[in-house]
Amino acid sequence: MAKEEFRDVIQRCQILNEEDFKGEDFDHFQAAGKKCLEEGYIAEVLEIIQNEKNKVIIKSMGWNLVGPLIRCTHEYKENDIERDRCKKILDKLVEFCNPKELVLGFLEQIEQTSKEQMSQTVLLLLKPLQEVLLKLHRNKAYSIGLSLSTILNQLSLLPVPYTAQQVQEDMHGLCRCCNALTDFVNPFVDEVVRHMETSDGGCKDLKEELLSFCLKSLKYPLLMAELEELPEETIKHPLRQFAADILGILLDIRELIPKVFPQHGCKNQIWDNEGLVEIEQEQSADSLACLSYIVFVQDFGMNYFPVVFHPSYILQCNMVHIQVLLERKEESVLSKGLDLLESCLLRLEDNSLFLQYLEFRSFITIPQDMVKLMTLCPFEPLRKKSLKLLQLYINKFEEEGKYTLFRCLLKTSNHSGVEAYIIQNIKNQIDLSLKSTKSSKCFTGLQLVSLLDAVLSLPEGAETDLLQNSDRIMASLNLLRYLIIRDNENDNKTCIWTELTKIEQNFLKPLHTGLNMSRAHYEAEIKNKKENRRESHTSKTVCSVTVAGGKMPTMTSEMELQVLQSALFTFDLMESVLARVEELVEVKTKIAAEANTGVK
Amino acid sequence: MAAPARPWSPEELRSDALPKREIIRFLQEQAAHEFLAQHKLLGQIKNVAKTASKDQLIAAYDQLFETQSFKGTESAEHVTEEVKNVKLDEDKPKEAKPEEAISEGPPRYTKSILKKGDKVNFPKKGDVVHCWYTGKLQDGTVFDTNIQAGSKKKKASKPLSFKVGVGKVIRGWDEALLTMSKGEKAQLEIEPEWAYGKKGQPDAKIPPNAKLFFEVELVDIE
Repeated sequence: MAKEEFRDVIQRCQILNEEDFKGEDFDHFQAAGKKCLEEGYIAEVLEIIQNEKNKVIIKSMGWNLVGPLIRCTHEYKENDIERDRCKKILDKLVEFCNPKELVLGFLEQIEQTSKEQMSQTVLLLLKPLQEVLLKLHRNKAYSIGLSLSTILNQLSLLPVPYTAQQVQEDMHGLCRCCNALTDFVNPFVDEVVRHMETSDGGCKDLKEELLSFCLKSLKYPLLMAELEELPEETIKHPLRQFAADILGILLDIRELIPKVFPQHGCKNQIWDNEGLVEIEQEQSADSLACLSYIVFVQDFGMNYFPVVFHPSYILQCNMVHIQVLLERKEESVLSKGLDLLESCLLRLEDNSLFLQYLEFRSFITIPQDMVKLMTLCPFEPLRKKSLKLLQLYINKFEEEGKYTLFRCLLKTSNHSGVEAYIIQNIKNQIDLSLKSTKSSKCFTGLQLVSLLDAVLSLPEGAETDLLQNSDRIMASLNLLRYLIIRDNENDNKTCIWTELTKIEQNFLKPLHTGLNMSRAHYEAEIKNKKENRRESHTSKTVCSVTVAGGKMPTMTSEMELQVLQSALFTFDLMESVLARVEELVEVKTKIAAEANTGVK
Repeated sequence: MAAPARPWSPEELRSDALPKREIIRFLQEQAAHEFLAQHKLLGQIKNVAKTASKDQLIAAYDQLFETQSFKGTESAEHVTEEVKNVKLDEDKPKEAKPEEAISEGPPRYTKSILKKGDKVNFPKKGDVVHCWYTGKLQDGTVFDTNIQAGSKKKKASKPLSFKVGVGKVIRGWDEALLTMSKGEKAQLEIEPEWAYGKKGQPDAKIPPNAKLFFEVELVDIE
């Protein structure tokens, strides 16, 4: 039935000229053709389409069959003879149809396809689409750009495979599509390259479109993908390959270096012209950050970069990217940010970064971001790495930079553990400066005093929550003990002895009071608990804690007691170091006093 | 600050073996600005020697030690006037900026001119310079060049541009480029301290502690 209908339409049109085709002919052609394909008369449709006599009809009406044809193709498995016939029909359409209409027909199909069939449709249509685009003369660059952005937009609905297993399975076909996309753009890249050598600038539009494709691909899927090499025994990493391909394209169209070092003296956007650069960078901030990651961490394209830049300049250029990456939430993006930072820091020698770099905003915000990561990030490896990198970062600054950084982090971290870590760092620096023969400007004398003011104090005096701040307080006490032992009262290089009264007033005394109050409070609490337990065994729940959606089991009174007890242990520990400090002060001042009277 | 010891006894001062110049140099090095002005001892040594008699100088010398008018004892505004002599003033904390701190010591590069420049246009710090270059290691391996040589088509075939003298490139380049004039082509041998140091740049195949050899042509300055 369908066969006959289709044949009828064709016969009717064969005698007409192209300009005489009417709207109803188009409708009939489409309806009958669709029916044929749906009912499986594929060989027949192919025969009609291959017939030279029908060339004109196919030229103007053929594109109407694209939709039904794609749906029909998906019905058959690979290597099925019917599928091959479908592909032959597609080839014929490409050969005969008006390219402009066909491009739109193809893109419509890609847009309408479901998520499940996305990769199949894209893989099926890329090659024909490319052939058709190559035939275009007018608006070619525009059509290529439209095609690329349509395809990428649709692909971006697919999840990016992350683990090695997911990559290998490639369930949604994203990896295969990406690799096919490279083949798809290659002829267009070649075209731009050819024109670049003749320098007639005719391919400017096309170059823009390719550039925008590269930037889009960097944002999705590459930014979200794990690009580290897979273990050796497994297959080649398809997305890593895609990253390399994108870099290759950028290199070919001579956009790689300007994109990675946007400031280095290009005439129209020198780095003083920050307004323009900022707008451009904001729009493609994620893409450029990912690009830098691929270049500096994965080492692609590194051999095309000028090897004269100073490592601190490379760091400076990358700080803006690192900041973009560290402000995100996804594990894959955060880890790229940390890796990029690490790679840039490892290029630098220790103590080589000048204080002046801290005047760039990102040099201050990034260590703060690292602190946030190491205290709040849900992924343990990233927390650990962040801590390791903070230390590396500190090490790269010269003394004055370290000093400023310590001040800043003490003020902003709001985390007792981090503060303790910084205080430990300060201690190490003082130790270095006392050992060294050169006099240190920052970690001895009056400069140090002002830093110690921030360390050897209690944020809220005697009322400070000693448990919450225990890490910091212990670190401060340790530092003080170290100073008293290490620095002689007669040398007083660290000025600790002249500051002692103030420290006693601001730190040791309130700490004493605080310890006494806290201890009394917790002892009373323990006593209460024990009495309550004797009275009733059914403990009332005062509040419940929910972690990651799951309710934590309520604490038994036994556990509560343990917690209270461990608080007391912490106080004991603090008190013992405090006592030791006071003892040392007493002994040392006594010796000094005796020595003085002896002299007299 | 501690007073310097008297270098000469009264007898030595009067003897003809001690020229006036020596006394003037000593006074200018040790005495406060105010003191020198008072005794008309400022200015070039040879000029002071013409105007001051030996007796005057001996009197000033004695007075310097009597009044202890040494450098560093005067009021603050005079100290700032004397900053150029600050290197004699060991006790005063140095206000050196980091760049200056490093600039002590001899240059860690040598330059030999292959082609003379115009000797008129020299870049200033912060100028954008454009240059062609080839970088080699000691063994002659080319690790980088922006001069198009057939196989390296992918490299941008334009001169490298950057702001000079502000730490964007390795120290050896920053310093050497500032001594070059437009059109000059030079061979640079840069010690590791002013190149990539003990770390090297493994991803650019520069080993640790590598001395680098560059041929640089300064084509333009903006």
